[in-house]
Amino acid sequence: MTFDLVLSGSDLLLLAPEIFLTVWLCVVLAIDFSIKNLDHENIAYLSVGGVIATLLNLLWFDYLGVTGTLFHDMFVLDRLAIFFKIFVLLSTVLVILSSIDYVKSFRFFRGEYYFLVMMSALGMMFMASAHDLLSVFVTLEFSTFGFYVLVAYLRDDVKSNEAGLKFFILGVFAAGLLAYGVSLVYGETGTLVFSEMAHTPGSYGLAIGFLMIFAALGFKIGAVPFHSWIPDTYHGAPTPVTAFLSIAPKGAAMAILIRMFYVALAAFKPTWVLLFVVASILSMTYGNIVAIAQKNIKRLLAYSGIAQIGNVLIGLAAGTKRGSDAILFYLLTYLFANLGAFAVVIGVGNLIKSDEIEDYNGLNRRSPFLAAAMLIFLLSLAGVPPLAGFIGKLYIFVAAIDQELYTLLAVGLINIIISMYYYLVVVKKMYINEPVDPSPIRVSIPIKTVIYVGLAGTLILGIYPRPFIEWVVAATLMFSNVTDMVAAALPHGSGG
Amino acid sequence: MGTAALLTSLFAPFFGAVVLLFVPNRQALLVRLIAAGAAGLSLLASLYVFLAYDPAQAGFQFISRFPWSEELGIAFQVGVDGIGAPLVFASAILLFAGIFISWHITDRTKEFYIFLLILAAATIGVFMSLDLFFLYFFYEMSVLPMYLLLGVWGSHTKGYLEMTDPEGLKKRDSVAFIFNFAANSKEYAAMKLTLFLSAGAVFALMGILLIYHFSPVQTFDILVLREQAKFDGPLATIIWLLVFFGFASIAPIWPLHSWSPVGHAAAPAATSMLHAGVLMKLGHFSIIRVAYEILPETTRELMPIAAILCIFSIIYGGFVAYFAKDTKYVIGYSSSSHMGYVFLGMAALDYISLTGAVIYMFAHALATGMLFAMAGWVYDQTHTRDIPSLGGLVERMPFVAGCFIIACMASIGMPGTVNFIAEIMIIVGSWEKYPLQVIVAILGIVLTMAYLFRMMRGLFYGSLTAEGVHAHDAVGVVNRLPLLLMIGCSIFFGIFPVHFYNIVRSTVEPLLNRIHHVAPLISQQNLFP
Repeated sequence: MTFDLVLSGSDLLLLAPEIFLTVWLCVVLAIDFSIKNLDHENIAYLSVGGVIATLLNLLWFDYLGVTGTLFHDMFVLDRLAIFFKIFVLLSTVLVILSSIDYVKSFRFFRGEYYFLVMMSALGMMFMASAHDLLSVFVTLEFSTFGFYVLVAYLRDDVKSNEAGLKFFILGVFAAGLLAYGVSLVYGETGTLVFSEMAHTPGSYGLAIGFLMIFAALGFKIGAVPFHSWIPDTYHGAPTPVTAFLSIAPKGAAMAILIRMFYVALAAFKPTWVLLFVVASILSMTYGNIVAIAQKNIKRLLAYSGIAQIGNVLIGLAAGTKRGSDAILFYLLTYLFANLGAFAVVIGVGNLIKSDEIEDYNGLNRRSPFLAAAMLIFLLSLAGVPPLAGFIGKLYIFVAAIDQELYTLLAVGLINIIISMYYYLVVVKKMYINEPVDPSPIRVSIPIKTVIYVGLAGTLILGIYPRPFIEWVVAATLMFSNVTDMVAAALPHGSGG
Repeated sequence: MGTAALLTSLFAPFFGAVVLLFVPNRQALLVRLIAAGAAGLSLLASLYVFLAYDPAQAGFQFISRFPWSEELGIAFQVGVDGIGAPLVFASAILLFAGIFISWHITDRTKEFYIFLLILAAATIGVFMSLDLFFLYFFYEMSVLPMYLLLGVWGSHTKGYLEMTDPEGLKKRDSVAFIFNFAANSKEYAAMKLTLFLSAGAVFALMGILLIYHFSPVQTFDILVLREQAKFDGPLATIIWLLVFFGFASIAPIWPLHSWSPVGHAAAPAATSMLHAGVLMKLGHFSIIRVAYEILPETTRELMPIAAILCIFSIIYGGFVAYFAKDTKYVIGYSSSSHMGYVFLGMAALDYISLTGAVIYMFAHALATGMLFAMAGWVYDQTHTRDIPSLGGLVERMPFVAGCFIIACMASIGMPGTVNFIAEIMIIVGSWEKYPLQVIVAILGIVLTMAYLFRMMRGLFYGSLTAEGVHAHDAVGVVNRLPLLLMIGCSIFFGIFPVHFYNIVRSTVEPLLNRIHHVAPLISQQNLFP
């Protein structure tokens, strides 16, 4: 295999969003360093501008249907990649906006914060395009390094340091597993590109290798049993970083998971379905049951996130085109509801300096807007119609019943009830309990913007999801023959 | 025109709720007027639908269909048959009355009306959904507002004081709290109700998904499914049981009823009205719509389950109501006892008894709505619901006392009210198949008389107690209109039931023909020619 780097103009076009964002984040950093006394808010809006420009660029690509591969299939730009890039950038915009007030409390390195956020976003954009185990490793580490710094950003805060350290140690461990898994798979198949692995015969080496890769990615998405870093890291990290961490990396890692299992391992579907069924059941049940006991809203959202990932994994367990559609749609609904909920947490936390659920008592009296927004976001996470989360859950369940995964379906449905309890406990505190300190809570305009975007997304995806369903269906069009591939490859495949 | 009216009756309350979002909370009167306007519009539209429904044509009418997602086979399809139309009408009556009943709520008025409007609109939505997805969508949507309506504006039942000590507060937040059946705070009632009903809904959703998966065309469209989907064997039994018990938990049938009286007792008056009046009928309605329409064979085989369970519902509810000391508990248990009659009427699978059951749902909505409205009034005036500590209120509130007596009569099934017609049809229709249950039902009526008369005597007669000294009668249009509206409807349809009977009958007949495999009857045995 030789790597001859030939880049034509049209090849560069495929990389345009990434190149633009790279240039932009360097510019942002340069401005931050060179202009003294520049208010960090301006840096934030500058960053938002750049990210939105990249986002528009990708939407334009999606509209035109630009696709292609680069660097010997290491980098692929198809509609799936574009979807996840848009997903990552949308969450980046919302996270930067909700960070602005929070960053005021930092004593130094305010400008660099935005640089790091954008750098992680850039890494995740590459993750969405990774089509080769090597690029999986590189992009995954690229995006995670930004997060290592961001999580420990509150330099003088013990919790933040603890969070950073836990995240770093476990993250590096996961990276080690990933590298080992990649080397095993390469040893077995002699290739690193997903599409070239599609017809290799199964072997134990391959199975162990992919199990390790799955463990590393499971660490990223926080699926049980790779979830142990999540609660402490979410709790200790600066809240906007927690919000970012709870959405964007999960989306980007799902992109890799879908590609890897649908393209490289389509032949071994009967085997890996079981893996996802188990991971999904464990994640949903563990996340929801432990969430009941939480006293801190960030920890509650952390455990609820574990449970939500369990729901997403149902889609992978289905292993069909509709399963991947459902995953994409579910992630969209989760983006709006979860980032919205975190925006409320940030808005409240900026003012009362606390994330304890106890301090949400009587939020409805202190700020009807925040309480109503939180109500809608939590109910969407719980899957109550007419909100987005309900459609997402239903879509996932339909995908599951298509494959006759009844156990998974039953566990998923029962988990809805369990999750409803702890979301309603928060609702109860906000609406029914009386506040200790009835002073009103005012929210700044950037956070309000994020909440409005979240509300709009949650309601539109719930009431009129049709264009979005069409979008996700189009994004995974290449998997429409995934079941045929299984049928064609089945005689070869055993073990794996 | 009919289609537009049907959509208006659904969307007017939703629209009202959206408009209310933009009204400042200070302008309570404006808030109430907007809510009343939206509910009034919905009432007029549903009245039009009810009157315009053509029994000669039968079937689903005023259908409108908007594709929602081809990918998943979902369409927003609404329309009513002779079962849906009266229930939509009943929901609109109760919503309109409920808005006036809660005119005096001053704590977060705007939010209260928003949630009340959403609750009622979602209920109306279930009664007109012709798509399983939207049936579930509205069903689940109607449950959540209940949580906040109970939790925020509800009231604690007696014995709540034991729960407010520091330790108790902690206990109420713990998981064990759900399973603590001795608790009687409003938070407990709200949580129990929501979890119970959502759990039921989830079981029903499982059944719906199985129907979706195993039908030849993957669709949620009820009109298509009832023609094309054929289920038999254990699969049909499983689906039927999931659907039946899922929906029966809201109805509520006997072993699944425990959320209901607690919920009634904790809820504010208007919510209890809607809850007992129409929310509980969602269960029966959805069973008819899903199980009867799509699984007719299995319904014929398994409906005896309901016939057995309804005995317990009737007797158990009746006895508890007799011994309860809290006015709302009496009415709440009375409601769950009376829901047993509906199950009896449904289980007999007889033309007359099923028609009676549908009319009974409407009749019970009005009767129990009145009772809850007036129990709410008495509670507002005296701040207690404890029957032994009340008495002689007839001196202070003659109008309410008069209405209360009429409501009790309606609830018992006095000739002249629509309840009478319904009860007699259930009893006559199911005698042949379930004589034991009919005897139980008649005993139940006697029991109803006993507890309602006891409550009436306890509240209004005897000597005036200290609690009642400062009580006031319902005066003015705002307070009297809702009571008079419900009484008027109950008596009007008691005396002129023909149109009502005809539209219900026109729907029940083809439905039961499918279940019994009978060719359409040529000579209709009309009770009211």
